[in-house]
Amino acid sequence: MSDKRETLLSSARTDPEALVDTILALQEQVQALSKPKLGSALVVGGGIGGMQAALDLAASGIKVYLIDKKPAIGGVMSQLDKTFPTNDCAMCTMSPRLVEIGRHKDIEIITLSEVEKVEGVPGNFKVLIDKRARYVDVSKCTGCGTCVSKCPKSVPNRFNEGLSNRHAMHILYPQAVPNKPAIDKEHCLYFKTGKCKLCEKACEAKAINFDQKDEKIELDVGAIILAPGFQLFDAKVKEEYGLGRYPNVITSLAFERILSPSGPYAGKVVRPSDNNPPRRIAFLQCVGSRDFERDYCSSVCCMYATKEAIIAKEHAEGLECDIDIFFMDIRAFSKGFEEYYQRAKRLGVNYIRCRVPTIGDVPGTGNLIINYLTGDEKKASCEYDMVVLSAGMEPPADTKGIAEKFGIGLNEFNFCRTSPLTPVRTTRDGIYVAGPFSGPKDIPETVTQASGAASMVLSLLREARGTLVASKEYPPETHVLGQEPKVGVFVCNCGTNIGSVVNVPEVADYAKTLPHVAYVETGLYTCSNDSQENIKARIKEHGLNRLVVASCTPRTHEALFRNTIREAGLNPYLFELANIREQCAWVHMHEHEKATQKAKDLVRIAVAKARLDSPLYNRPLKVSNSALVIGGGISGMTSASELALQGFDVYLAEKESELGGSLRHAYYLLDGSGLQDHLKATIERLKDTYPFNKRVHTYTGATIEEIKGSVGNFKTKIATNGKTVEIEHGVVIVATGAKEYKPEEYLYGLDKRVITQSELEKRLALSGNTGIDEKPDTVVMIQCVGSRHDKRPYCSRTCCAEAIKNALKIKDLSPDTNVYVLYRDIRTYGFSESYYTKARQKGVVFMRYEEDSKPLVENFGSLFSVKVFEQTVKRELEIPAGLVVLSAATVAGEDNKTIAQFLKVPLTQDGFFLEAHMKLRPVDFATDGVFVCGPAHYPKSIDESIIQAQAVAARAATILNKEYIELDPTISELNEDKCDGCAYCVDTCPYKAITLVEWEWEGKSKKRVKIDEALCKGCGTCMATCPKDAVHVRHFELEKLRAEVFAALNIEG
Amino acid sequence: MNSTKIEPSLIRDVRKYGKFDVSGCFNCGSCTLTCSLSDDHASFPRRVIRQVHFGMKEPLENSLEPWLCYYCGDCAKACPRQAEPAEAMMTLRRYLTTLYDRTGLASKLYASTGWRIGANLAAGFLVILLALFYHLHFAKLNLTDFAAMPMGMEHMFNIIIYFTVAVYLIPAVLLFMNALTMHRLTMQNGNMKIPSSLYFSEVKTLFLHGVTQKRFTDCADKASKTRRTKHLVLFSGFILISLLVVFFLKWFQTDKIYPFYHPQRWLGYLAAAALIYGSFEILTGRIGKREQMHRFSDPGDWMLPLMILLTSLSGIAVHICRYMEFPLAAHYSYLIHMVIVTPLLVIEIPFGKLSHILYRPLAIYFQAVKEKALKQQIPGEEIPSEVEAT
Repeated sequence: MSDKRETLLSSARTDPEALVDTILALQEQVQALSKPKLGSALVVGGGIGGMQAALDLAASGIKVYLIDKKPAIGGVMSQLDKTFPTNDCAMCTMSPRLVEIGRHKDIEIITLSEVEKVEGVPGNFKVLIDKRARYVDVSKCTGCGTCVSKCPKSVPNRFNEGLSNRHAMHILYPQAVPNKPAIDKEHCLYFKTGKCKLCEKACEAKAINFDQKDEKIELDVGAIILAPGFQLFDAKVKEEYGLGRYPNVITSLAFERILSPSGPYAGKVVRPSDNNPPRRIAFLQCVGSRDFERDYCSSVCCMYATKEAIIAKEHAEGLECDIDIFFMDIRAFSKGFEEYYQRAKRLGVNYIRCRVPTIGDVPGTGNLIINYLTGDEKKASCEYDMVVLSAGMEPPADTKGIAEKFGIGLNEFNFCRTSPLTPVRTTRDGIYVAGPFSGPKDIPETVTQASGAASMVLSLLREARGTLVASKEYPPETHVLGQEPKVGVFVCNCGTNIGSVVNVPEVADYAKTLPHVAYVETGLYTCSNDSQENIKARIKEHGLNRLVVASCTPRTHEALFRNTIREAGLNPYLFELANIREQCAWVHMHEHEKATQKAKDLVRIAVAKARLDSPLYNRPLKVSNSALVIGGGISGMTSASELALQGFDVYLAEKESELGGSLRHAYYLLDGSGLQDHLKATIERLKDTYPFNKRVHTYTGATIEEIKGSVGNFKTKIATNGKTVEIEHGVVIVATGAKEYKPEEYLYGLDKRVITQSELEKRLALSGNTGIDEKPDTVVMIQCVGSRHDKRPYCSRTCCAEAIKNALKIKDLSPDTNVYVLYRDIRTYGFSESYYTKARQKGVVFMRYEEDSKPLVENFGSLFSVKVFEQTVKRELEIPAGLVVLSAATVAGEDNKTIAQFLKVPLTQDGFFLEAHMKLRPVDFATDGVFVCGPAHYPKSIDESIIQAQAVAARAATILNKEYIELDPTISELNEDKCDGCAYCVDTCPYKAITLVEWEWEGKSKKRVKIDEALCKGCGTCMATCPKDAVHVRHFELEKLRAEVFAALNIEG
Repeated sequence: MNSTKIEPSLIRDVRKYGKFDVSGCFNCGSCTLTCSLSDDHASFPRRVIRQVHFGMKEPLENSLEPWLCYYCGDCAKACPRQAEPAEAMMTLRRYLTTLYDRTGLASKLYASTGWRIGANLAAGFLVILLALFYHLHFAKLNLTDFAAMPMGMEHMFNIIIYFTVAVYLIPAVLLFMNALTMHRLTMQNGNMKIPSSLYFSEVKTLFLHGVTQKRFTDCADKASKTRRTKHLVLFSGFILISLLVVFFLKWFQTDKIYPFYHPQRWLGYLAAAALIYGSFEILTGRIGKREQMHRFSDPGDWMLPLMILLTSLSGIAVHICRYMEFPLAAHYSYLIHMVIVTPLLVIEIPFGKLSHILYRPLAIYFQAVKEKALKQQIPGEEIPSEVEAT
């Protein structure tokens, strides 16, 4: 302390003015920090990451300003056709979110804007925003599109990667939110020459205003989340690939647009030079990644190339379409990826392990020549119609500007700098990061990180939640009982998804003939935001009191349309959805006539039901505002801490006698930094520091005996230290982790010189050496032990990085030790690639083997060696070894089955927990109120577990922040008069929601069942079982089902 | 198939002979694909680099691939990791050179600059001793005698011819013995029996490539023709001057003064010009790092062109002194000339970089023989790329 004093005194003497300035600045900071925090946040970037963060924040009472520099939100995901590994349509999974944000009372979208300056402290930031003029008055614009068609100026459409043109007056993409056009000032004829204004003349709503000016907006927000996304590597820089010179060499994003039904060729896969369908396509991987200027892996390209190949083959529909993918390693490391890759191979996609250094062309044909090496080291050549460059992910173009304006640090590759144990924090407090800006990642990881960032904002602005949000008012409900049903039918084309198979106009015309149908309309994308407004308008215009939409699946869109009619004053249960896509157009792709007939049938069935639908009302259920976290490893502790910071009570149950989980056996990270101190600090913080010591109740040596209840109201019995504790909580977080596979192969267990990576790590950390006593001083590591084969087809994700981590450690401790790594693919994705480089530079030797010729560990007498058939030299090599280390698989914990049964959540066939939606709901379950994080979900690294644990806190908060949640009314209802207590339904109920009640009345023994509304899921089993017709599921009563069946058979009844 | 036992120390051994920093290499194949000299029977540089990495000592010793590379450097340009495969091949050539030499001297010369300079100095010093010994003991002449004498080149003829022949014959014999080792390592491994008739039928390859060096032009880069021309000029100059001094010494090294257009003069000029041009181009190239192959230079890479240049210059000095009638200066120049050229021939040919004068064409010849042998063994079938059949 005296040193500090001395320093200050001496600087006061030498430069008193500087000291005074410092004091004043500090005073300002203290003042700013003691101001009450604002309950609002700025989310920079309207891609899928920004959107997720915005929704999570708004759901927990934070006012969100979502800014994007384009005229609409959606980001790169809006350009994608399908997403891996589920092959879901990107727009379909995204559009409900787009619409939700577009209509959200607490999310303000600011488009055509960029941040110019950021000042302030966490809790009180002042942001200056540069908003460019749209030249369209959005309050008057109806989105009719007339101005767009009248605009005479054509420019290359960046959204379609230059493959088609758009007008200077344009809407970014069909389902854009906001769905309003903008004038591209750079190309507008009026702005360049003073002539034109055709759009203004054509606009009936008088919404075009050329006098609009760019404006500056000042916002005061409590926190900032940066999600500006990425830019695709500009492959033109690699002239040897001919991008820009050869018309049929395109980027992966351009190919994505070609595949998309809203793309330049309306979903027909044809090549740019002559619009002919390509018969042979080549994909070149690692373009702009894994080279000496960009020593990182872009993580997504192997999977997106596989996806594009599968979809391209699908589009080819019987015509031949051969696809070759040229790669170095296939990074199929995440959930479902390895299986997807194997599926692509079975579908005929050909993978060739060779990096292609140049592309030649065949002049006059537009074809391209690729020379490559076969597995036998022979040169081969192949001609292709089209070549797709799998370009990597780079930080956004203005990354340096962003860093400067926000005052944050960048890493060596100019991505946002984070650190492994605080992966969502930037270098500036109060500013958090999500998505590819902090490193290449795919959609589920982006969405997870976005929720994690939201969680940190919610902790920061804990006291200010709810202070700046608007209250939601629905219009008063129109009375429909007693009225004649007036059904409105909207038939969707879904781009070309439905329209290319089902004759939509024919179906619409048919619908008009159905009884009680008062209005019929077709649409291109009925789920888009402006379509909702249209539906509401029509309901009012025609006095409709029932709605039928014939489009896609209720799983993604039922809630959307129910909300739409609620905003139009109709009870949300007066809506039916006929699935003419998944259940019709998609499965009868080649039988257009029959599909059209089936679509008509489906519409008829839906109308028959809709007629009979009556209003239903959600029941409020009080929420218990605490959480149960099962598992006290880093994931469990992190999610418990995050929830405690947000102000909730948490019950943390750990089955071992101490907290820490697998982290107890991990000693250092990939960069060499230690872990045990962090673990100790984390555990102690839970015990000693406020608010954790007050809010987190830890039970060690605990077993879950029973979990009853459902979202908002769980009752759990925990057996701990001889006694049983009963707790009530609103949500459950599963953080049960995973464990290392105990190998049965390679002499493990039979020779003490064969150990696993975790055993090696412990040895290196605790004794500082490999434990090899005799020569040779050689360590041989074998990858993929127990992973990637028939019984366990998935990739355990972390083993490549772990092996390299330990190899680097060995080389640090003893540089002369020889280290060999026997691998099938090296999967060091993201920034761990540079550690693979470091390992090679330190002399670690990597040898490749294939699944059908695995290495052999031999110990005869004094000989201890590993034999491997190395694929690059095509020889069997014998490596005399001192130690063999097996990179064993990560397998699901054995308790997962029990927990899954308690919580009624599914497991994958590998025993990990199965989330609600692989892409967009990676930490939720289909069952409300239950969440998962960490390796319980799928093997992952420590920083990935931390992100997921933080994400879970934000997701759980959307429930815990509410006092009441609304129960779905479409559950069972008992007709008490008809029930005689036969109790057949009690055992058949899969959710154990029915109990038998007995009582005495007037001397007689009475029996009847009782249904727990919180547990009932409305599956209908009781209704099917009951012989007395005493129980029915609301909204699915027998008369409605009868009407549907009769409608299906097209008979009166 | 038998296992190949790996030797982890191989890469450390190879690294003694030059830059072999291929640690960045992750086996992508771009280098081999870019190489226009690499084909299915001899694939490089990737495979040979892998062999070093994996410690496959025997397959490396048996390989001809390093000699089949002509260092155009296209592979280094194509490498996405800047792993310098081209320089790795150069290092392997040095490694193999030291391997073919059973005396171990080549290894010392490459591993240590001190040894290299020392050996050359020793050879040069030996020449001075021999000269002194001859003049003091046998000829019994002194300096004043030299000053008075006319040129006296012819008087030395008897002793010089023996010296010259020795200085060419000793390295030739040593090099030939190394070539036998090379043959044993590269052609007598594995189970494949190579019929001797093939050695005769393919011998035209040896002379074709040795004389025309047309393989240079198979390199795809634009500068390959220029490189070939320059090297051919240098090589021709060397052959020409060697022929002149070995077989035509009496005619060439004469006291007679000939007119300018006489072959004795312009053949000499031609050889000198060729040698000066060739060595000068190498030196300026390496100083300015003009081409891919010039970016890395070890002491041997400097010494060879330097010695050739100095030999030529000292030879011209003799010529000028003779024609300007400065006999003593001519004699001194002649001594310097001998001191420089002797190590150039006696040290550099069998133990140094100049050994490639035999190894390169021999490698191409052996490769041709191998390919013919394989074709004959399995007529009509596809030739496996692993030419060392097991």
